[in-house]
Formats: sequence, C-alpha cells, structure tokens
Amino acid sequence: MFQPKRMSRILIAGSKDQMDTIVRELYHQHAFHIEDFVEKEDEAYEGFKIGMPLDQASDASSELIKIRSLENTFEISPGSVDATRTQASTELKAGVDRTLAALVEDVEDLTAQRSKVEAQAKAFEARVNALEPFAPVSLDMDLYHGYESVTVFAGYVESDVEIPVPHEKQYVPGGKGRQNFIIVFVPASEAEAADRALLEAHFQSVPIPDGSGPVSDLIYDAKGKISQLNEQLERIERTLEEKKNEYGEVLVAYDEYFTAIVEQAEAPLRFATTDDAFVAEGWVPSEKVEGIIASLTHVTGGKVYVTELEVGDDAKDVPVEYDNPRFSHPTELLMDIYARPRYDEFDPTLLVSIVFPIFFGLILGDVGYGLVLLAMSLGLRKFIKGEAGRQLLDTLRNSSIVSCIFGVLFSECFGFALPWQSIIYSRHLNIGGEAIHHPMVVELLIVSVWIGILHITLGRLLHVWNIRHAMYQDSHATKKVLEQFGWLSTMWGIIIAVWSIFPIPLMLDLTGFPPVAMGLNAAGIVGVVLILLGIVLIGQESPLELMEIPTIISHVLSYTRLVAVGLSSVAIAMVTNYIALDLIIGPQLESLTIVGVVIVLMGIVVLLLGHLLNVALGLIGGGLHSIRLHYVEFFTKFYNGGGKKYMPFGMRRKFTEE
Amino acid sequence: MADPVMTLEMVEASQMGMKAVGAGLAVGLTGVGTGVAELGIGAAAVGATAENKDMFGLALLFTVIPETIVIFGLVVALLLLF
Repeated sequence: MFQPKRMSRILIAGSKDQMDTIVRELYHQHAFHIEDFVEKEDEAYEGFKIGMPLDQASDASSELIKIRSLENTFEISPGSVDATRTQASTELKAGVDRTLAALVEDVEDLTAQRSKVEAQAKAFEARVNALEPFAPVSLDMDLYHGYESVTVFAGYVESDVEIPVPHEKQYVPGGKGRQNFIIVFVPASEAEAADRALLEAHFQSVPIPDGSGPVSDLIYDAKGKISQLNEQLERIERTLEEKKNEYGEVLVAYDEYFTAIVEQAEAPLRFATTDDAFVAEGWVPSEKVEGIIASLTHVTGGKVYVTELEVGDDAKDVPVEYDNPRFSHPTELLMDIYARPRYDEFDPTLLVSIVFPIFFGLILGDVGYGLVLLAMSLGLRKFIKGEAGRQLLDTLRNSSIVSCIFGVLFSECFGFALPWQSIIYSRHLNIGGEAIHHPMVVELLIVSVWIGILHITLGRLLHVWNIRHAMYQDSHATKKVLEQFGWLSTMWGIIIAVWSIFPIPLMLDLTGFPPVAMGLNAAGIVGVVLILLGIVLIGQESPLELMEIPTIISHVLSYTRLVAVGLSSVAIAMVTNYIALDLIIGPQLESLTIVGVVIVLMGIVVLLLGHLLNVALGLIGGGLHSIRLHYVEFFTKFYNGGGKKYMPFGMRRKFTEE
Repeated sequence: MADPVMTLEMVEASQMGMKAVGAGLAVGLTGVGTGVAELGIGAAAVGATAENKDMFGLALLFTVIPETIVIFGLVVALLLLF
C-alpha cells in the first residue's frame, strides 16, 4: 500500500540441458520479470551471446499463424470469447493432428469456395452491367457480331449524331443517371467516316457482349445465376458460422496453448548463453523469491544456481507492480493513463481511488443522474470486455454511488428538489422564480478552495516523502526538501495575508488585529514574512522556479471548478425542467386540444433530450474535471511516474490448464 | 417628477441587469479564450495520440490545462450573481 510491490533482483545460472525445465517452471510460476540480455562490451559478460530459441518454436509458430488466420476468418480473438470451461493441455496436444488439422482444412476449403463463388458472382454482375445498355434496343444479341462487311459501333455519346454515310442507327436517349446510348451499323468501307462523326460527339465505345438471343433473356439468365450464387454464398457463410459457434472456443484454447509454447520456446532469446550454460537475470516480487528458488532447485534436482543480486540505486530499472487493496484496483487504470509510479516513490493510487469519486460526486451530486450512471456502469459490463474496460466501469460505478450520496445531501434528483431541505449547502438555483432560499454559492466556493488548499498541501508533503525515500540520494536532497517547505510557506503566507485583510466566511478572520505598518496588521506581517521566507527557500534550489509562484493562486482557485461545474449542471437540469414542465403542464392539460397534445409531446422531448445532454455533460464534466484536478493540480506537486510495467514471464490462463 | 421609490427600484433592476450582463461576458469571453487556447493544443494532442496511443493521458492533460480560464470566468459569474 502507498508503495509499489517490493521487488528483488535474481540471477539464474544453469547448464543448457536444464534450460527447458527451468523455462517451463518459470513460465508456470508466472512471477519472473525477465531483464532482456543485450550483448555489450562488458567484461563481466565476455563470451556470452543471446540464446537460440528452443526446438519447438518454429512448429508452434506456424501452427499459431494458421490459428490466427482462422480466428480472423471467424472474427474472434481470445479477448472477445468468454471461457465456459478450461481444457487440459494434454487433451489439446492429442487433438492437434485430428481436431485442429481437420478444422483448418475444412475452413480453408470453405473460404476458398467462398472466394470462388464471390468471383463468379462478380463476373455475372459485370455481364449484367455490360448487357443493360443494350436492353432498350429490340435487336437480338447475335445480330451485333459475326459480320465481315459491316462494322458495329456501340457506346455513349453526348447527343444524337448525324452519320454522313449509309447506316442504320439505334439511339437511346439517356435519363436519370444514364447517358445517351447509340448503336450504329455502317459498311466496313465507310467505318472511318462514321468513326470521325461519332468522335465529334465525344463517343465512348463500350465492348459488345457475346451471346445470342434477346438481350432481356440474357440479362434474366445472368441475374438468375447471380441469385443462385448468392444462395450458395449464404450456405457457405452459414456453415462457417456453425463452425465458429462449434469450434470457436477450442480455437482460442489452441491459440493460448501454442502462444504458451512459443513464449517458452523463445525465452532463451532474452537470456545470456555460452555453448554449454545460460544466465537469466530478472525481477520477482520479494515475497516470492524463496518459493521460486525452492521450486527451481526442486525441478532441476539441484542443478541450478539462483542468487539474489543487489538492487542498485536507479529506480527506473525496477519493474513496478501495484500493491493496492482490491478496492483501488480499478483506479490503477487512471494512474497508468498518466504514468505508472516509479519504484521508489509514493504510489497515490489509494488516495486517488478515494478522492476521485468524491470529486466526481461533488460535481455531479444528483441522485437521478447518479442512478442513471450506476445503471450504465452495470449494464455496459455485458458489452465491454477486457481488463481496462472493467476498470473504467468499476471506477464509474464507485463515482456514481458517491454522486447519489451527494445527491441526497444536496437534495437533488434530476434537478428537482427531494422532499427535504438540502443537508449541506444548497445548490438550488432560483430558476423560474420558485425557490425561496438562495443557493449558498459563496460557502460552496470557499469549501472547494479549502479542499484545494488541503489537497495541495498534502501533495507538497508527499514530495518531501518522495525525496526522503528516493533510492538515489543526491547531495541536493536537503535543498529540495527545503524548497517544498518554501512552496508551502509561500502558499500559507498568501492565505494568512488574505485572511488578515478580508474577513471570509468559513475561514479564519484575522482582520481584528491592530494595524502595525503599511496597512497590515500583525497577522498580515506574519503572512508577508512567510511569503518572503518561502520565496528565499524556493530560490535557493532554483531561481527559475520562482516563475511558477503565480500558479500557487491559480492552482488553489482551480479547485473551485468542483462547485462551478456542478452548478452549471444543476442549472441545465433546472432549466430543462422549467421549460419542459411549462410545456407539459401549462394550460394544455386543462382542456386538451390537438395543439395541446403536440405541445405536451414537445415538452416530453425537451425533457428527455435535456436530461440526456446533461447526463453526457455530467459524465464528461465530472470525470474529466476530477481527473484533471488530480493530474494537473495534485500530481505536479510530487509525482514523477515513468516506472516500467512489471510483466512476469508466463500467462494467466483463461481457456487451458497445464 | 418621477416617483423617487420607482426610481430606486429601476436603478436596482438595472444594476441587476448589468450584473447579469457582466456575468454573461465573464463566462462568454473566458470561454472564447479557453477555446482559442485549446485549439492548437487539441490539434497537436490528437496528432500525438494518433502517433502513439500512450500519449493519450498526457495529451488529455495538456488539452484541459486552459480549461482553468473558463472556470475562473464561471466563478466570477457566480460571485456576481449570488
């Protein structure tokens, strides 16, 4: 909690004939984060080379390619299929030649047939397209070819053409989407003159399709063939669909099975090897070191050397695995979007997982919208698969529950008041002139500023913690700690100075002291001293940082968005209700006429659309603004990020078991 | 001669109106300011995210930084009105 999982660096050395066993055991343990070996000019690694993949790699890879192509045909992937049962690896291995080979053959056959039929259908469609212009001309198709002394021109023209030679002509004027079509028969000897005349009218020749008999019959035949082919195509698609339903899960199980084999076989590519031995370096969670060493010694019968190495002082080398209670697991997504924490720094995931929903609830603060979002977060579970989606929905669920709680406190439900007065400061606006009491905007704003002051103070203190716990302690550490206190001192100095000048509700009133100098009273002087002290402390670490001093004020005031964005969503809801209820109830319901019914319907539409818009805005506003307050205002005070993700060698099996 | 009570009411009403105008200007102009500021950042952020999906978090962060301007406008408007 509050820090990533503790890691230990271990080194495994053994002879090459044990490599297979060791790799299999490491894969099974699913805890060893391999540090890739890079060939380098280092004396300690002289003579070491990157290893070669194990024998089974190439076979398994080619099987995997086949499986993936089938998955493509079926449009499935291991991520999109739910496991109903797990299959034993031995069973799968036995079925490779039978089940899998047969399936691959069947499906390849079907897809080949499918593309053949599709190509045929395309050809007939092209024929129909070629024949169609000839349809309006009442000539049989065989009259168009087979002449020795007559030339036939067929094609599109811009307008009717006068042919200056003896000829026979069929002109079909174009219509909607069709061009003018012309067919001209001329003696072969006069063809050149006819051609010239046609060209002047921008004649575009079309090929004359072969065939005999009336054109309409030919088109009818071709269309019949197309529908036959389409039926065939549908049959093939149906068979494929059946295959997909029957074998889809087996297929992804095979995918997983072979992926495991390939990953194991390719592991030596990440090891340092000599002709007879190999060395693997990597990370395991400290609590698992003993277990790993014991199990490796056990499977190899003691023919392996495993030792724990020094961790070193560069935190960026250490892979980072979150160590949080289950409750804050979903929030790790929000952390990863920004950056994974570095190994030696404070992991704020738990804080974010508590504060984020509170901010969200404070902004949305409406029972109705909260329930809508809650329903959404539960309903979308069916459609959104995968780890990240789940985490997002869980975060949304927590946030909407807190929204409901704040809705009860604010006494709000879709912008209407609940049957009680708001328990904390009211956000009910005076829209439509019905509300008796005013919203307590000033109080709310001050509360939000308080939240900001405390949140930022916490952030600065966490920075001090980070400096003290850094793995690499440079000589500037003390200066950096003093700088953080400088920031705090400046911020609180400003706050005290403000308190000494203006009386602000809900905050300390320090205006009562007698004035001392320059219109400042004793408290004001304390404030100014704190500011000056802070500036000195910030400047001693880096004078450039002094530029950032105005952000103290803007960051604290930025927290007022908690109230401002919330109030705007209340305003939208209340305006929607005001307009819609006016339309729905108004005078219409007293004496219902046709127009009245239409107006009532319009009112309902306005009500639905308005609240739909407000739910979307509430989701975006509540989510984005809360996370932004964390990312920009909170994290910039202490958080570095940039940790490497801990990716243990092995896999979480979903469809198979060893 | 105008009734003095009437005049006072009129003055109050017009003050209220001016406040409302001021509040509107505060939100409207800061909104424009935020929009102009986010214009460039947003375009660059979308580009960067298209190149590298990992940039999304940082891109979002950069894009919403000018949002503070309009929030200040909103706060000023709220303080004016209530």
